[in-house]
Amino acid sequence: MIVIDTTSGKSHQVKIEPVESGDYKNITKRRYFFDWAEEKEWEIYKLRIIDSSDILGLVSFERIPTEWRIHIRLLSVSKENRGSDKKYKHIAGNLITFVSKIAIKEYAELACVSLKPKEIIAQHYIDKYGMNITGMTLSVEIIEIMNLINTYDHD
Amino acid sequence: MTKKKNKVLEDAEYGVDSRYTSKRDKEVDGKALMEARLKRMHNLSKDQIARAKLLQLKFKMEEYISKPVYQDNNFFTEFLTTYIDTIYSKRSNFAKDIDITPILLSKVINNHREPRDEFMMRLMIHSEKTYKNICEFHKKTWFQVYYHEKICDTMSSQDEWRPKVEKHVNVSKLIKAE
Repeated sequence: MIVIDTTSGKSHQVKIEPVESGDYKNITKRRYFFDWAEEKEWEIYKLRIIDSSDILGLVSFERIPTEWRIHIRLLSVSKENRGSDKKYKHIAGNLITFVSKIAIKEYAELACVSLKPKEIIAQHYIDKYGMNITGMTLSVEIIEIMNLINTYDHD
Repeated sequence: MTKKKNKVLEDAEYGVDSRYTSKRDKEVDGKALMEARLKRMHNLSKDQIARAKLLQLKFKMEEYISKPVYQDNNFFTEFLTTYIDTIYSKRSNFAKDIDITPILLSKVINNHREPRDEFMMRLMIHSEKTYKNICEFHKKTWFQVYYHEKICDTMSSQDEWRPKVEKHVNVSKLIKAE
């Protein structure tokens, strides 16, 4: 997986790995928008460029095996990667794809990744990631997941 | 569109707080989502299902290679069986496609015979062609799985083989520690 430097256009390989206890002092609400310490009981992963320890994005999620589903609880990019002046692009896409790969590994053709964003930003996720909408819940299932993998995952 | 709404959309990727506010919320949403998903699942073609299963197999193999697993499972043959059964209704058709006898395939699958280089290379090429229209698949994956299992098995069973083997090993020219 890669992120692209929006200024130079250069791509950088990234690594997504579990958040460690020592990371919490760095993943502040100021830079990552949420209180990530509240998520400690869930699975939390961080995205960083290989050879850099700087965390560019975070995701926490819950596996719901009875529904062959993984629900994304929190997802965020770091402050400098927000909006039109972002430093790197593809951070959120990589994180959603990463969770989708886990869903495929667990549930194959039944895989589903869901999230429930606020109404106003839901359209963005539908447009950008081809998400399905059911009530207020957005989801990617096998067809959308395959598209995500082909777009974001070249490992 | 208002300036405010524009700004919200622009910032949409800063993050999502999608935590359920209650257990009931989660159950209600899950139920509605499942109904919608089941309808969509009914429309999946056989090929789409096979693609998903092959993708799952690839991720499982990659996970297996990436960490030591000291279990007494036959991972290589388990993955091989999944691969064949996902694509073929009869295993003999796979044997035919890689030009080996069904008996030889059966022996490999049932761990009665080790796969030879020829078998591995044909499997590699078969997988390359199969995965070509699905996702990237490294040529070395099957080899890595096979040898990873060998390494893990050998390392984890040292208690059994080491005493006997060590009798045959003598280092006559021992380099002294500094």
